[in-house]
Amino acid sequence: MNKKAISILLTAAIGASTLAVSAVPAFAAEKKDKYVIGMSQCNLGEPWRVAMNDQIKMAAEKYPEFEVIFSDAAQDNSKQIADIENFVQMGVDLIITSPNEATPLTNAVSAAYDAGIPVILLDRKIDGDKYTQFIGADNVDMGRIAGEYVADTLLPDGGKVCEIKGLEGTSGGIDRDNGFREGIKKNDKVEIVAENNADWLREKAITVAEEMLQTNDEIDLFLALNDPMAEGAYIAAKNAGREGDILFVGFDGLPTPDGGIRSVMDGRLSMTQVYPTGGAEAIESAYQLLVEGKELEKTLTLTSEIVTPENAEELLEKYGGTAE
Amino acid sequence: MENKAKVKAVLKQMQSVIALVIIFVVASTICVKDGRNNFLDIRNLMNVLRAVSENGIIAIGMTLILILGDIDLSVGSVVGLISTGCAYLMVMSGFGFIPAVLTSLVIGGLFGLFNGLCITKLHLQAFIVTLASMNIARGLARFWANGIGIPLAYGEGKGMAPPAFEVLQMRIGGVVPVPAIIFIVLLIIFQIILSKTRFGRQVYAIGGNRQAAYLSGIKVDRIKIYAFMICSMLASVAAMIHAAQISQGGPNEGQGYELNAVAACAIGGTSLAGGKGTMIGTLIGALILGMLDNVLGLKGVNSNLQLVVKGFLIIIAVFMQADKVKD
Repeated sequence: MNKKAISILLTAAIGASTLAVSAVPAFAAEKKDKYVIGMSQCNLGEPWRVAMNDQIKMAAEKYPEFEVIFSDAAQDNSKQIADIENFVQMGVDLIITSPNEATPLTNAVSAAYDAGIPVILLDRKIDGDKYTQFIGADNVDMGRIAGEYVADTLLPDGGKVCEIKGLEGTSGGIDRDNGFREGIKKNDKVEIVAENNADWLREKAITVAEEMLQTNDEIDLFLALNDPMAEGAYIAAKNAGREGDILFVGFDGLPTPDGGIRSVMDGRLSMTQVYPTGGAEAIESAYQLLVEGKELEKTLTLTSEIVTPENAEELLEKYGGTAE
Repeated sequence: MENKAKVKAVLKQMQSVIALVIIFVVASTICVKDGRNNFLDIRNLMNVLRAVSENGIIAIGMTLILILGDIDLSVGSVVGLISTGCAYLMVMSGFGFIPAVLTSLVIGGLFGLFNGLCITKLHLQAFIVTLASMNIARGLARFWANGIGIPLAYGEGKGMAPPAFEVLQMRIGGVVPVPAIIFIVLLIIFQIILSKTRFGRQVYAIGGNRQAAYLSGIKVDRIKIYAFMICSMLASVAAMIHAAQISQGGPNEGQGYELNAVAACAIGGTSLAGGKGTMIGTLIGALILGMLDNVLGLKGVNSNLQLVVKGFLIIIAVFMQADKVKD
């Protein structure tokens, strides 16, 4: 009897404390005073996505009628499908999401959209067009800018490039890759000698870069589709004693201490581009749609900015980072 | 004395049912918002059932293995391997629905055979063998698809998947998910096999005392090989359902599924030491896990806290299932 009692008490205690700590406060009011927004993030292992969530949080603080619930799918498609289904079940007023991969999440997002819940896609798309608005910078364009910069400025006499890609199946990665290959066509002496995926994560990039360094005696430049992976490649090169002979290019350009702008300032990356997360813009769109009743444009394209050693410091200040 | 032991066993079984009922009732009461019950809603319950089915099917196989006193850590990787393989066969190799499904089951069976042979003929522990084959399956999956996922677009012609496969994703009458039906049917079949056939009795015997079982003439090696083949084939079924759910066969899918399966079995009363367990218990364990995920999600609990709660729950459940008499 004792054991049973203890077990039941334990279960009740844990259950109660969990719900007390994080319960969504119930509100009796109807749609006009309070709006619940469900934000389904695909993973929080990328610093860029942590920044996205932070920016959404900060932007939502301006509007007391907004309440944002966050969920993290940890790169698991099934988990994210369940997260979005739960939001639909809870009857949220709007969903913001970055789908982990386009095809697997299409049904769940489309179902939410068909159920009458507006959906704002951030940075990553789904297949088809069952969403309210897509907010993101033009990744193809950014890829092309990087490619042209490499072709004209970084490797004007040509060279061997190793490409480190993100998680296969993400629209941003596919776009940046395609754009980059377009861009380097300007200089036919620039060639991609190796390519592999590191899922947008720094640790995986270290391993991938190590393998590339092992199999390629001549590498002139590492092109990584985001800054953490570029930093990972740098670490791998440093471990092999080759960081002095290789150039590194990334994407995202966060103003945080571990972000791309600092990486360029400190001389590890030769170039990156600021890729705005769109978090603040998503909340603005939500306000326009829910409170002001305006119609939203299908695509909201954000502008990016090149970061080079020449302008890194001023961009750091512009985007609110600190030099120390 | 024997009656008392029987009653105790039944009560133990009831413990998990009682827990299930408690969670169900609590969920129904706390998930009410604006006069709407988010949990006790047919669409939600069907979502839970669908989500539970994949893990449940894998757990059926895992129950067999655990009763034997072994473990199969490779099931998650088999999900990755077969979901990729099946998608590849349909989309790239142009296989029809039935040939693709049958081939996938055969591949799964062969993989289980590999596990079983290594364990019985090489006399290696199941933990090590399946830990290693977990990597083998994952590697094969990535190699097969060159590391990328294969999207399933349904239609006729080159590069399309046979429309019949989509049935694994549908709901009968728009309500009952097909995976749930497959799960329940498989569950009933294997419950009957476990409790009513000689194979089932032999499985319990081996798990209870391997030496004694062997000495009494039971072909331990053969039974184990069959069990591991069944387990991998069930994981293959789950893999195909999974691929249909996300419209994609991917080599990275299924990571961590082996632990979810073991958790469902353990909560349902299957002992990791072997010799104990039922399919009904596994069903209850899977349902408890699924409902817990659902309730926490519906209440907007932080995703990371959900993991913590799940972990505690497993410890409590297994604690309650442990035998009171120490030896």
